[in-house]
Amino acid sequence: MLALLEDAGFKRVRSTIVPGFAFRKESTRDAAEAYGVKAVLFTAQKAGT
Amino acid sequence: MTESALLHAEEQGSLEGVIKGEVLRMYQEVAEHPEGEFHFYHGREAAEMFGYEPEWLDRAPPGAVASFAGVGNPHVRSRLRAGEVVLDLGSGAGLDSIIAGWQVGPTGGVVGVDLNPTMCRKAEAHAAASGVRMACHEGRMEDIPLPDASVDVVISNGVINLSFRKRTVIRELFRVLKPGGRLSITDIVSAKQLSQSIVNDPKLWAS
Repeated sequence: MLALLEDAGFKRVRSTIVPGFAFRKESTRDAAEAYGVKAVLFTAQKAGT
Repeated sequence: MTESALLHAEEQGSLEGVIKGEVLRMYQEVAEHPEGEFHFYHGREAAEMFGYEPEWLDRAPPGAVASFAGVGNPHVRSRLRAGEVVLDLGSGAGLDSIIAGWQVGPTGGVVGVDLNPTMCRKAEAHAAASGVRMACHEGRMEDIPLPDASVDVVISNGVINLSFRKRTVIRELFRVLKPGGRLSITDIVSAKQLSQSIVNDPKLWAS
């Protein structure tokens, strides 16, 4: 996602992992962990004129 | 285009259609039956987990709170100011739109975009009941139904990961933002390439 934002032309691209994110169901949680699934907050800015 | 590439494109197009249907079904289920059990946390429990202010959740219509299905809190870094126009991409039942609307005030506005027209009408009703000016457009995130350079800020919560064409979605966000505009989005990312069995399973992808 960071690369996609930068490729599109966004500046000041930042990311922070969302603390506390988890899936409710254990089976989904285990699969998500195996794939390194995380929730992330992204911020970015479109350059001004 | 070679025959195999054409076949691949056709298969992907067909899979996208199925996934779109599954996404519509799943999030409508959350909106209509928020008391149900889902594999993700939702409602007030999820919003509190992500640090939404309790007074926001007390003040918003119960239906908007109960159907909340985000994966984080885009308001933490949105730095909204009075008078700004906000796009809430994948506005769902409207909780994030309402919170944004309170911050931009009566001189600003919120535009929602959602795949599901029923959800759009629900979000608008929740926003109106909260004193927020919101117009929701039915549309796809890969083809946002807004003019170029028309919004100051984009917020989104757990939506872009549902798209097969994330690069197109991000380009669309860039297009609709005004120069100097900014985005604050929370979403799910995976450190590893998902297996083909997950990619080809509409239920898992929609999750």
